[in-house]
Amino acid sequence: MKRRSTLAAVLVPALAVALGGCTSDASAGRVELTFLSVAFQDATVEATDDIIQSWNEAHPDIQVTVLQSNYDDVHDQLVTQFQSNTPADLIYNEASDLAGFAHQGYLADLSPLLSEELREDIPEKYWDIVTIDDRVIAAPTLVQSYVVFANTKLLSEAGVAMPSETSLSWSSLRELASSLTTESRYGVGWGLRQPASAMMNTALNYGGTFFDVDSDGSATIEVDDAELAVPDQVHGMLFEDGSMDPTSVTQSTAEVVPGFFAGDYAMFIGASYLAQQLTEGAPEGFSFSVLPPLAGDRGAAQAANPQTLSIAAQSPHQAEAAEFLEYFMAAEHISRLGQSDWLRPVPTSALEHLEQATAEIPVWRPLLETGADLVGAPFTRALDYPQWKLQYATPGLQKYFAGSLSREELAAFWSDGWASISDQ
Amino acid sequence: MLLLPALIPVLLLSVYPLVHGIVLGFTDAQAGYNRPVHFNGIENYARLMSNELFWSSFRVGVIWALSVTVLQFLAALGLALLLNQNLRFRGAARVLALIPWAIPPVIIAIIWRLMLNPTAGPVNSALAAVGLPHDINWLGDPTFALPAVIVVGVWAGMPQTTVVLLAGLQNVRSDLHEAAALDGAGALRRFWHVTLPSLRPVIFAITTLDFIWNFNQFALVYVLTAGGPGGQTMLPMLFAYNEAFKYGNFGYASAMGNVMVVLIALTLVFYLRHQAKERQS
Repeated sequence: MKRRSTLAAVLVPALAVALGGCTSDASAGRVELTFLSVAFQDATVEATDDIIQSWNEAHPDIQVTVLQSNYDDVHDQLVTQFQSNTPADLIYNEASDLAGFAHQGYLADLSPLLSEELREDIPEKYWDIVTIDDRVIAAPTLVQSYVVFANTKLLSEAGVAMPSETSLSWSSLRELASSLTTESRYGVGWGLRQPASAMMNTALNYGGTFFDVDSDGSATIEVDDAELAVPDQVHGMLFEDGSMDPTSVTQSTAEVVPGFFAGDYAMFIGASYLAQQLTEGAPEGFSFSVLPPLAGDRGAAQAANPQTLSIAAQSPHQAEAAEFLEYFMAAEHISRLGQSDWLRPVPTSALEHLEQATAEIPVWRPLLETGADLVGAPFTRALDYPQWKLQYATPGLQKYFAGSLSREELAAFWSDGWASISDQ
Repeated sequence: MLLLPALIPVLLLSVYPLVHGIVLGFTDAQAGYNRPVHFNGIENYARLMSNELFWSSFRVGVIWALSVTVLQFLAALGLALLLNQNLRFRGAARVLALIPWAIPPVIIAIIWRLMLNPTAGPVNSALAAVGLPHDINWLGDPTFALPAVIVVGVWAGMPQTTVVLLAGLQNVRSDLHEAAALDGAGALRRFWHVTLPSLRPVIFAITTLDFIWNFNQFALVYVLTAGGPGGQTMLPMLFAYNEAFKYGNFGYASAMGNVMVVLIALTLVFYLRHQAKERQS
């Protein structure tokens, strides 16, 4: 009997600690918020930490701590956190990953929480992207676009002038890539191990919208010439022109950067944030520039899939979280994050701030120009897009670029795949 | 009296999650704030029957588990026979053979990603040094990805198989070997007629366990290829993981888990029965 009570005396407090550990608002009145961050480049991680630290110093009764995540795992992490009722109060993510969570009711409606200034600071087309079911589920912060980086030394050695037009058509890119291809080097490389986002974002160059989305998030797909145009250009460079490095296509972006430094390819397509890695890691004597925005027959439009800051519906401190959100969205903060990640700020004031701060750096001009043509695309709002992307878009493209799937088979694989997911 | 405290952790940490998982497989549990959960009987299983992607991933899983288990067994048997000899530096060699066991699967996968890197990896450099084709994109090419992942799986799982077989070898009675040698049996015949029969129970045990472990392997392939390229290495465990944690269909994913357990259990029952019969005859 005695033994049992000793055991209970040990077990019960231990359990209490284990179960109670999640909500430790020990000192009365003090609110603790968690901030799920996906920042991964050193400069951005540092900028995020600085913003949070300055907030914590100014607000002793609302303390924010960072929970570090990354783009590959953030979705799985959120699914688990929401399900176990322990989500971070503030969630930093990207718009295309949010539609599902929004429809599941996990994201708080920000419309009653946002200030008038912030509402006016962000262009209406961006509010549209993050408004789902008449609820504003996030504040858009920064957008990335896909750009062509060029090794300036290799271009001048080959006697190729930097294109000076306001946009670079895909056919000009292909000519350029062919003329830069030699025995020992390819004209262009593209890290397309996870090809879906790049293809979906650039599809708008040709008006490829893929989906027709209803207000409840259900959608129908249409895969036609416009949707397949960019994959076709890549396919052409791989199999007809032989100007794109086939190995780069199977590698992640990070794995392709060293090849660009080593001169394995004279140009390299990637998201604008890579400019940070190119600036940080470039070997001695290496210089790069950014070509004008890529354009198809519908101009240089790309899909806007902005980074976003949301508040969890399960958070008991939504009002405090919204206060922090307003602070985080201040022009100088978003501008600093934009500079460290080489991304275009969404809020107008932050964009102006960044334009002034980077006036002396020429590479920023084409980056910002490419970002000006971004528009909302249906795929960010389609409920089943994440599943289709993983099960059909990605493997289909991987096979198409490996030459084991024909154009017709790819189109059928995508349409049938979408149908089989929507049926479930 | 003392049994109860010992049972609590088992009930709490083992039985409860297991039962919960099985039950979940008969519900429509899905991600959603305050979303109610209903029993839906065998609906998940009816849906699963027509889910082609799941069955193709199941095929990949069977190919993977069978090839890894068989190759692992053959390689480990060779290694165990070698380590059972009176070699110089035998102690050191035995320790070396155990090292992969001490490395977590995620680290193994990262090491092999570097080894198999198509442009800078040592594997392709080694092939180039001996004049063989050296531009093979091991993990990126649909033809090579599964074989490459299988090789890594064999490497990662060899230590425990080797250790178990080595222990078995040391239990083979030496007087049998001596008697067979006196009767004029050569090394190969002694291996076939003395070593193998004595080793048989150990072989059943370890191949059975290996098959279960390999079929359930997750971390290694998740880090190596995440199921790509083009779904060539999409093991059923990865598939169920995606269903639950990427798409939030917890009930459906649990149903996949249940189906896998039942099918693997059936396979093993047949295998063990067959072996038991063979032993009797």
